Amino acid sequence: MMRYESSTEGYCYRVLHVDLETGQVRDEKIKGPAAAGFLGGAGMAAHLIYDELVPDLDPLSPEAPLVIATGPLTGTTGPAVGRYVICAKSPATWAWGEANVGGLFGPELRAAGIDALVLRGRSPQPVYLCLLNGVVELRPANQLWGHSDTYETQDLIKEDLKKPGVKVACIGRAGEAQLPFAIVLCDHGRVAGRTGMGAVMGSKNLKAIAVLGDQPIPLAGPERFSLLRARINRELRQDLVSEGLRDFGTSSGLDIFDYFGMLPKKYFREGVLDGVEAISGASMAETILSGVSTCHGCVIACGRKVRINEGPERKGPEYETKIGFGPNLGITDLKALVELGDLCDRYGMDTISLSNTIGLAIALYEDGMISGAQTGGLQLEWGDAEVVAQLVHQTAAKAGFGELLSQGALWLAGHFGVPDRALQVRGLELAYHDPRGASGMALVYATSPRGACHNQSPYYLVEIGQTREEIGIGMHPRQGGEEKVLNVVRHQDWTTLQNSLVMCIFANVPAGEVCELLTAATGYDLTTADLMRIGERSFTLKRMINVRLGRGVDDDTYPEPLFEPLAEGGAAGYVPPLENMLRVYYKKRGWSLETGMPDESTLQHLGLASYSHNHSKS
Amino acid sequence: MGYPFPSEAWLNALKDTLNRDERYAEIAKNWEGDMTVIIEPGERGDPESFPIAKYMDLWHGKCRSARVIDPSSEDLPDAAFTLRATIDNIYKIFTGDLDPMQAMLTRRLRVEGNMAHMLRNVPTVLEFVRCTRLVEIEDEH
Repeated sequence: MMRYESSTEGYCYRVLHVDLETGQVRDEKIKGPAAAGFLGGAGMAAHLIYDELVPDLDPLSPEAPLVIATGPLTGTTGPAVGRYVICAKSPATWAWGEANVGGLFGPELRAAGIDALVLRGRSPQPVYLCLLNGVVELRPANQLWGHSDTYETQDLIKEDLKKPGVKVACIGRAGEAQLPFAIVLCDHGRVAGRTGMGAVMGSKNLKAIAVLGDQPIPLAGPERFSLLRARINRELRQDLVSEGLRDFGTSSGLDIFDYFGMLPKKYFREGVLDGVEAISGASMAETILSGVSTCHGCVIACGRKVRINEGPERKGPEYETKIGFGPNLGITDLKALVELGDLCDRYGMDTISLSNTIGLAIALYEDGMISGAQTGGLQLEWGDAEVVAQLVHQTAAKAGFGELLSQGALWLAGHFGVPDRALQVRGLELAYHDPRGASGMALVYATSPRGACHNQSPYYLVEIGQTREEIGIGMHPRQGGEEKVLNVVRHQDWTTLQNSLVMCIFANVPAGEVCELLTAATGYDLTTADLMRIGERSFTLKRMINVRLGRGVDDDTYPEPLFEPLAEGGAAGYVPPLENMLRVYYKKRGWSLETGMPDESTLQHLGLASYSHNHSKS
Repeated sequence: MGYPFPSEAWLNALKDTLNRDERYAEIAKNWEGDMTVIIEPGERGDPESFPIAKYMDLWHGKCRSARVIDPSSEDLPDAAFTLRATIDNIYKIFTGDLDPMQAMLTRRLRVEGNMAHMLRNVPTVLEFVRCTRLVEIEDEH
């Protein structure tokens, strides 16, 4: 048991380093240019572990660092700022790994006086890490390891600690087994889903982190902040996107995405599927919705609670889970999607990656490349939710055909000799926004630092009209090309900034108001141009890490099947001109066309020149 | 030749257009819901002449009735949907300079009503806007 110090001085980013092997802890206070240049969240995480992310580093080795980072707005009373990020070298991609999650855990971490945790080493036995009001303790988790799912784990730790208000983030069976798509889950089903951060926790024999704090969140101008947040939250409540999210959850836009051909079906092979409307957010609200849930202080409340028949109240599936296990697998049974999402959460598996992998398996089975003998007799057919549930169980147990699914889509495709059939970028399976319906997503997928991801720029929202003219993000045709590249660049930079604050990407708060809030929070005198540059700096640093890890220009694309047009639906006959867009993109970014590395002038402009030489920040 | 906007003549021309348009009739065949569009003052036109409202009864791919309402002298009907925007933004939407979805998502067009019905009928909404753009507006200048 050791103590750590906390601080309330100025804007100072407070980092707690914990060695899980020795139990040693160390405080670090980051001020000056690094604090001002990255602010927090994922950008700060990239800064913190930049030197350690080298090509030879095994992401599941003891020396691999794992960062859990909040930002300067996390846990304040600001709009949609209950979020935090988990970052590391990804075991799924061996490139930059980053997962973003809401709930209540991040704010509690800040209330405990910690802005970021950096975890290294491997505990000799399963443990959970307690951070209780300045006291650090590693407690045995043998009773949890292999025995409890992600919800049970939270309950058991809270019982063990007997401290009201404790928040817990934990892994499930998949994290213990170090599956590359293992998640970290906290609170009422809030998930750090992508790039296998749960596997990194599992590799450290770390089952969970429990945190409790009672310190105020530091603000430079609390009165100014309070006035601003009241005004912004009032405006946010009246925003149409917020209203849609509140009334219908994250799948509020499902009907719109379907109409525009942005909603994948049958592993991105078909453009139309009967019955899709049965799983929309509106349909869920009219049938099984029993309540809503929120992250810390959020006025949007996009989380869903559902009840099927007289069963227990459970988390309702979010958009990606709904589409991944739904139309992507030919399933339109809403109740089945609740079950499948719940199973994945309890086992601790990313619903996007696993549903992609199962979709690939069904597609290969349909094409005769996987036989019934190889599946253990299971018939893999579109629309069979019962078989999919069996596959989820098998995957978590690495049993039967599930053993082949347990390493993700790229591994599965490679196993059957068709690596190009896996729909992924840098090894990360595609999120469910078909780039053929909205070409901006083509560029987002191809260039996102963590692979085929929608959280480094939810550009699909811009494609349907959520523009931000105040920072130069306007409207372009959904099936446009080079003319929208600068728009995408700006949207990536803005989203990267949000992932540093850490602010929910669904919060449609004008840039000027975010700027005012951040100024009141940190005391920095910031402009929106400053914010965009902070976003660009963090995006570029992650790029530098990926180039160093050998995941640069050759990976800036996606597999051949997505270059084939769909026959029907809103995207019929169209494929994005990705190569042309990429050429313009490198130029706008100031990256080398040959290597994909940011040019010296770009690094100078962003204050990253010291990182470029010998790839070290020091 | 165009119609002055906003005016009763323009509204009647839109009604005729909707009732003639086969594509609108097909896509909006399941639409049930009347609508009031409240046009607020902006930089276009005489600010004193706003707000004004337009009521349209849209039913199964047809416009059953349409009329201009002066909110200062008449109660607004209890329509299924109420839309509000400035004259400038309405003008941009109806002339094709502002995407209707963009207008809604950037708070330039505010919508009240059954959003589940609206979300399920996005094609109808977009077809309606397409038809508004077929009605030529008289150039003020």
